[in-house]
Amino acid sequence: MSTFVNRRTALTNTMAAIAAVVFASVSVWPRNSHAHAPAEHTVEIKYFDYHPKSLTIRLGDTVTWINRDIAPHTATATDKSWDTDTIKRNDTFKINVTHDHSGEYFCRHHPAMTAELILASTH
Amino acid sequence: MKLTSTILAFGLTIMLAGTAHAKSPAELNDLEIAHVAYTADNIDIRYAHLALAISENPDIHAFAKTMVRDHTAVNEQALALLGKLKAQPQDNFLSKSLNKGAGEIIEELSQLRGKAFDHRYAQNELAYHKAVNDLVENAFIPNIEHADVKALFEAGLKIFKAHEGHAEMMVKSLK
Repeated sequence: MSTFVNRRTALTNTMAAIAAVVFASVSVWPRNSHAHAPAEHTVEIKYFDYHPKSLTIRLGDTVTWINRDIAPHTATATDKSWDTDTIKRNDTFKINVTHDHSGEYFCRHHPAMTAELILASTH
Repeated sequence: MKLTSTILAFGLTIMLAGTAHAKSPAELNDLEIAHVAYTADNIDIRYAHLALAISENPDIHAFAKTMVRDHTAVNEQALALLGKLKAQPQDNFLSKSLNKGAGEIIEELSQLRGKAFDHRYAQNELAYHKAVNDLVENAFIPNIEHADVKALFEAGLKIFKAHEGHAEMMVKSLK
């Protein structure tokens, strides 16, 4: 009986310890992987240029383009891997940053307009 | 002299100094200027539609579509502003001359095909935007009285200068 109780106690303690480790890992994990709170960036398109021209972003951030020009514009990856499609005057387009959103982009309608997104490490 | 060059670039035949009712572009009132701008926008849209119908060059198509898109957007803003001001654009000698010159250029372009069309269209776009930008920057903007109208023209000039740069790239790429 006492051996059974001891074994049961030991088992309970082991499970509690495992649970504690798992809980601790889970509660710590988000802080280690996403050391920053997701940021909301805005790129203003004005006078046929992107402002800012260069933007550092992290996974989980959002980027919103807002077109202040009369002419419609796009923000399109140079390798065409992503595209906001046409953004009309005072309209916006928002993306959630993934690994795809790194590098130079341009306006499909006005190819002289260029800018870049720099994907920073999250660690 | 600069304005004279601009007008010659449009292929205008009116002799400004020798016509009783003629004015210089710098003497047009805001509503006449608005009419000229609306006319100039529509002319470039007409050129673009011709390019889309005749050219087989993807770059020419992309440029022409941009001209339609941008000039339509400018005209929509201009009409919205005139509506807000409860005003109507006023036809004038310069609008008439622009239309006459455009008719001749469209007639010429319509006879061309292939690379000959592409080169002529690109050259005309560059010359046209240079001329219009000169007119807007040096004759219109300094003389526009209404602040909202002036702001619209300043924004329009940014667009047309971007078009001029784009047209310049297109002319070089076709050589």
